[in-house]
Amino acid sequence: MDSNKKYWKGLEELNQTPAFVENSKSEFAEPIPVEDVLNEAGLSTRTPRRDFLKALGFGLGAVTLAACNRTPVHKAVPYVIKPEEITPGIPNYYASSFNGQSILVKTREGRPIFIEANPNGVGLNQGTDATTSASVLDLYDMSKLQNPQLDGKDVEWSKLDSTVIAALNKAAQAGKQIAIVSTTVNSPSTLASIAKLTAKYPTATLVQVDPVSYSGIIEANKNTFGKAVIPSYNFGKAQVVVSVAADFLGSWLSGEEHSQDYIKNRDYKSLKNGKMSRHIQFESGLSMTGSNADVRIAIKPSEEGAVLISLYNEISGQSVTGGTTNAKAQTAIKLVAKELVASKGAAVVVAGANDVNIQSLVNAINTQLGAYGAIIDLDNYSKQYQGSDAAFQQFLTAAKAGQVGVALFLNSNPVYNYFNAEDVKSAIEKVEFTLSFADRKDETASLLKAIAPVPNYLESWGDSSAKEGLFTIVQPTINPIYNTRQAEQSFLVWAGDTTSIYDFVKQNWEVSILAGSGKAWKEVLQAGFVFKGSTTGSAYIANVDVTSVASSIVADSKKIAGDVELKLYESTTLRDGRYANNAYLQELPDPVSKVTWDNYAAINPKFAEQLGLGENGKVKVEANGKSIELPVVLQPGQAMGTVSVAVGYGRTAVGKAGNNVGQNAYPLGSIINGTVQLAAKASVSKVSGTYELAQTQTHHTIEGRNIIRETTFAQYQKDPNSASGRFADTHKTYDLWNKFEQPGHKWVMAIDLNACTGCGSCIVACNVENNIPVVGRDEVRRRREMHWLRIDRYYTIEENGTKFTKENDIADIQDFENVTVVHQPMLCQHCEHAPCETVCPVLATVHSSEGLNHMAYNRCFGTRYCANNCPYKVRRFNWFNYWNDSRFDNYLNNEFTQLVLNPDVTTRSRGVMEKCSMCIQRIQGGKLKAKMENRKLVDGDVKMACQAACSANAIIFGDANDPESEVSKALRNERVYYVLEEINVQPNIGYMTKVRNTFEA
Amino acid sequence: MRNISSVLGRFAKSISVSLVLLFAVTMSSNAQDAKEGAALFKANCTACHKVDRKMTGPALAGMSERHSEEWLVKWIKNSGAMIASGDPVANQIFEEWNKVAMPAFTQFSDDQIKGIIAYVKEEEAKAAAGAADKGGAQGAAASSDANNLMILGVAAILLLAIGVIVILSRVIKTLEKVITNNAAAIEAAKVRNEAYEESGKVRFAQKFLKNKKLVGFTALMVVGLLAVLGWQTMWNVGVHTGYKPVQPIKFSHQIHAGVNQIDCQYCHGGAYKSKNASIPSANVCMNCHNTVTAADHYDGEISPEILKLYRAVDYNPDTREYGNNPRPIEWVRIHNLPDFAYFNHSQHVSVAGLECQTCHGPIETMEEVYQYSPLTMKWCVDCHKTTEVNTDNKYYDQLIEAHEKLKKGEKMTAAMIGGLECGKCHY
Repeated sequence: MDSNKKYWKGLEELNQTPAFVENSKSEFAEPIPVEDVLNEAGLSTRTPRRDFLKALGFGLGAVTLAACNRTPVHKAVPYVIKPEEITPGIPNYYASSFNGQSILVKTREGRPIFIEANPNGVGLNQGTDATTSASVLDLYDMSKLQNPQLDGKDVEWSKLDSTVIAALNKAAQAGKQIAIVSTTVNSPSTLASIAKLTAKYPTATLVQVDPVSYSGIIEANKNTFGKAVIPSYNFGKAQVVVSVAADFLGSWLSGEEHSQDYIKNRDYKSLKNGKMSRHIQFESGLSMTGSNADVRIAIKPSEEGAVLISLYNEISGQSVTGGTTNAKAQTAIKLVAKELVASKGAAVVVAGANDVNIQSLVNAINTQLGAYGAIIDLDNYSKQYQGSDAAFQQFLTAAKAGQVGVALFLNSNPVYNYFNAEDVKSAIEKVEFTLSFADRKDETASLLKAIAPVPNYLESWGDSSAKEGLFTIVQPTINPIYNTRQAEQSFLVWAGDTTSIYDFVKQNWEVSILAGSGKAWKEVLQAGFVFKGSTTGSAYIANVDVTSVASSIVADSKKIAGDVELKLYESTTLRDGRYANNAYLQELPDPVSKVTWDNYAAINPKFAEQLGLGENGKVKVEANGKSIELPVVLQPGQAMGTVSVAVGYGRTAVGKAGNNVGQNAYPLGSIINGTVQLAAKASVSKVSGTYELAQTQTHHTIEGRNIIRETTFAQYQKDPNSASGRFADTHKTYDLWNKFEQPGHKWVMAIDLNACTGCGSCIVACNVENNIPVVGRDEVRRRREMHWLRIDRYYTIEENGTKFTKENDIADIQDFENVTVVHQPMLCQHCEHAPCETVCPVLATVHSSEGLNHMAYNRCFGTRYCANNCPYKVRRFNWFNYWNDSRFDNYLNNEFTQLVLNPDVTTRSRGVMEKCSMCIQRIQGGKLKAKMENRKLVDGDVKMACQAACSANAIIFGDANDPESEVSKALRNERVYYVLEEINVQPNIGYMTKVRNTFEA
Repeated sequence: MRNISSVLGRFAKSISVSLVLLFAVTMSSNAQDAKEGAALFKANCTACHKVDRKMTGPALAGMSERHSEEWLVKWIKNSGAMIASGDPVANQIFEEWNKVAMPAFTQFSDDQIKGIIAYVKEEEAKAAAGAADKGGAQGAAASSDANNLMILGVAAILLLAIGVIVILSRVIKTLEKVITNNAAAIEAAKVRNEAYEESGKVRFAQKFLKNKKLVGFTALMVVGLLAVLGWQTMWNVGVHTGYKPVQPIKFSHQIHAGVNQIDCQYCHGGAYKSKNASIPSANVCMNCHNTVTAADHYDGEISPEILKLYRAVDYNPDTREYGNNPRPIEWVRIHNLPDFAYFNHSQHVSVAGLECQTCHGPIETMEEVYQYSPLTMKWCVDCHKTTEVNTDNKYYDQLIEAHEKLKKGEKMTAAMIGGLECGKCHY
């Protein structure tokens, strides 16, 4: 059964703009000048005989001269003393951790080149998020400082130390405060080293502040439970999830871990057992989490509190005043409340607002639902965000009053990411001695007296504790590249302690973490972590005065209510801006808007129409007395009367790749009720000029073909085959070619559309593994991004219960709020009857006996016929020699960043086609390992880079000739269909239908 | 001034030589013991000791002066026991040599040990004498010989040159005389010769040019020959068979792998487990070369090539200590595969069980290594077409099953299991 739903990739396709129609015809953005050459004038042009001979002679001479190079002499330089554990050519793995997640770092000849999750880890152990995969590039960032600095000049560490110690002593004698301003510190070793400093200088205090603050939750839990912590959420236990503006699969707390758990109730294994959770999202901008929801209701930021009050009323049967008046929300809340109550103990409500009252109300709702214990764990609480907005304000006040003698900034950049940068600047001016531990001269560090640069985490000893009872180790995988020193070491030196950082971390572990656990230090270095907590927490009851909380919510909501409301959000790709110089992340398309290299003002298309805005327009967004100018994205699903802007952009001193990308939106925030708010009353006005965003949205389009198959959970339960509409079941297929045996392996892949959240972590992992270049904003605009794997996002519109299936209906749409989204990872399908193979004039792309579509780069000479003939548009052409071209120096092409390259994969040159190779280097490596060990290859020996990065297990790879492999089992699933199978290209990648657990009428 | 000092030096040295010789004569009663001692010394002691140089153990010269014979016998028999018994000298030596104990030689009789001591003394005397002789000779040569030699040489060359000139002028005169005497005969011969050429060669050439078919055929042959030559040359562009660059150290595989039969794995272990065969790090060389100095080939001096190794690891052979300034050896790479081709040694060596010589040629006979195989794709493909797969490997079980069903009795080659597919080498 073919779906009659209409899917579209973007508004250009929906509206069939002339530019879109024109571009969708051809594979490449720029026309090839065939016409010019073949027209009459072109053919009748005469080249005089003498010119011809001249050109011929010159050409021949030039070629001869060019060929006269002597063969270069290559040197082979072995180690003088080879470290015992290194065998050149064989990777070593080290356990470490990033942002509290236990990871494995792959190194080759001493260079870290890839990061994957520690499969035995606690919490997120199935994949990594995009920032983790990309973090390996930060090690090789050439914008970092190479030496400590004092007053902007490079100095010796000894000079810096004596200056700092003098300043500390002066402050201590004067009784002035010594403030260590930091983002959340959960590392036991860092805390221990700070304790050493505090012991020497008693006025030293640690001020923690996070750019995107969660202090509202901490305060609320302190008030309602007496525990000032952020709980851990186990979405794996939740059958009904209601989120009010919390992007809990993306940037909210630990989104990737939530995804891993959340998907376990929605993927093919769960569906096979007849189970699927239901997820309802209330939000203003279309977030990644919202795009995965079964039901999504667009609301304004000021309505978040009201929605929760109504929800509380429905659940508890009370009638607290201040409920929502939004009709759509009201109907939804009635249904949702019924669902929630029906599955008490397996239902949870989360809210994204950084507001103590809203979070208190959420606590009250969750107590009613019995979520504390199984789902919300206050015993094994999260320690990722402990920043306190109030503490930072106190610091600013004290500093401005001249009470602070020394301020040390650790992982902290408030001049960039605090809403009131002017306040921070004037506070810094009043402090006698200021120092930053930043690894680069960032916005804050450049204003300070001294910089004591710290090494990257891959060069450091350390640890972290993202969750109560969980301790992960950070161990170096390379010697410090620059003259840097860890902050912990600096604290020790300034406290007069000469212990080396290694001894300090080791002692701290042995004394305070490993004591009594029966584990030795060396075991920790191998395992990477110690977990002393339990798997479930105990039940808690929130003590909330709902009536007073509700009245405060109503009062505070009025402060941000207006005709136009602004919502600032943390983007899934760049997060709070600290990774802004990472070219991989800058070029990773936003999961929903598919914009790269910029932030933008997301506005509902109908609302934009009212404002007189169109594509490529620019707006001025004004809030809290400040304004920024941004390009517009017409975002379906965006609530009417709202505008969403991502923070984390607009950095000015982060490095060559990230400087001046987008606009800084932090200044538009404010403080309400003691916490930093990312929502505000705003005004939006059109400004002149146009700006073309580098969107991958409509690139590589697929014209209205039936490539997305979608069903509802109710239909699925009736018929698991529903909507999968497999062509082969109803049609006879014919082969033009002789069938050939594939007796060894047959590599195939299964992709679960229900599991894919669209986060893009696989894209980054693929880039790192396969040496895929970053091309920059201009080239993405020309549709020349090189990603081998992309995630296509398709919208469908529903309004008042009717689905819009025809293009003509679109004019009837009242608003673009009710949008549903499907994410589809698209990569080379390794077709058995590959259309690309038959058109290659030089046999550069051919089929293997293992079912792979090989690409021999050295054979390719760039006709691009294959890309034109590829029905999936997954082939990428190298328009430049990205690895040896000064235009791309800021991204990956420089002496230093090139160290991140995987030595097992060729870097492709200009004029060569490339595409997903199914990580053939990993396949060959896995086969060789089996041969060396004289055994058969078993399922799981070979993992794709994208698969390893996917925490939702949406990508399953393996050998179809092994009937017991996970992929064989997955492909036998009733939901499996093959994209464009009707053209009989026989792809080797099967997709599983998207199932939506909607409310059935 | 210099002359006087050198004369004095020579005098002193000759005295010392005569003294040593006198000493040797007095020792001649021990000559018989020393002979046996020599054999025992070479068999048991040379691994760690040298007479004139520190090795694993101290230099032995002068040991009879430092210790009594009785003490030495006891020490050599069982040094460990002596140390344990608390002998102060023994313990001092033990400490001095980083607590590396000398193995016990309880199997030796006292006389045998005395023989060894006698041999050491003899060697010591010889070494001293040798040093004195050498010093004397050098001193003499350095004084005035150089100048005399140069003057003599120049004079000899001048004389030779004059002689040559005289002889040549004589020859020329004689030849001129011959010509003037036989002018008529020469003229006649010339005329005859010209006539002959006209009648023979020229006529042949004219005939040849008239025969168009023959000309055409010849031209075709020439073009064909050039084409074949050109074709062959083109195919060999970038093929470096026989490439034998000069290496920074004259390392000989012939000595190491051929004469000394060191297994390839000892140095190139990577070939068995990794894609890279890997050139051994210098610490591997030092496993042997901290004792093997090839001094017997260089008049008792350390081989200059081995000295280069020492320089690389910053090792001082006299103090036997490593410094902090190592300098890696920059070998010149001989086998260069293009970057776009993936090659894995372990796949071929460990899995397929190929001998190193299959691709690298008779490496154990190579004084200097050269590229034996062309390393072209054709060369790879040819081998993959004929090489049978090592079917004992359990990895292939599934494939073999399938192939047996397909073709009974036919052998399975690398090519048949996908060994010729592009992606096997290019990714």
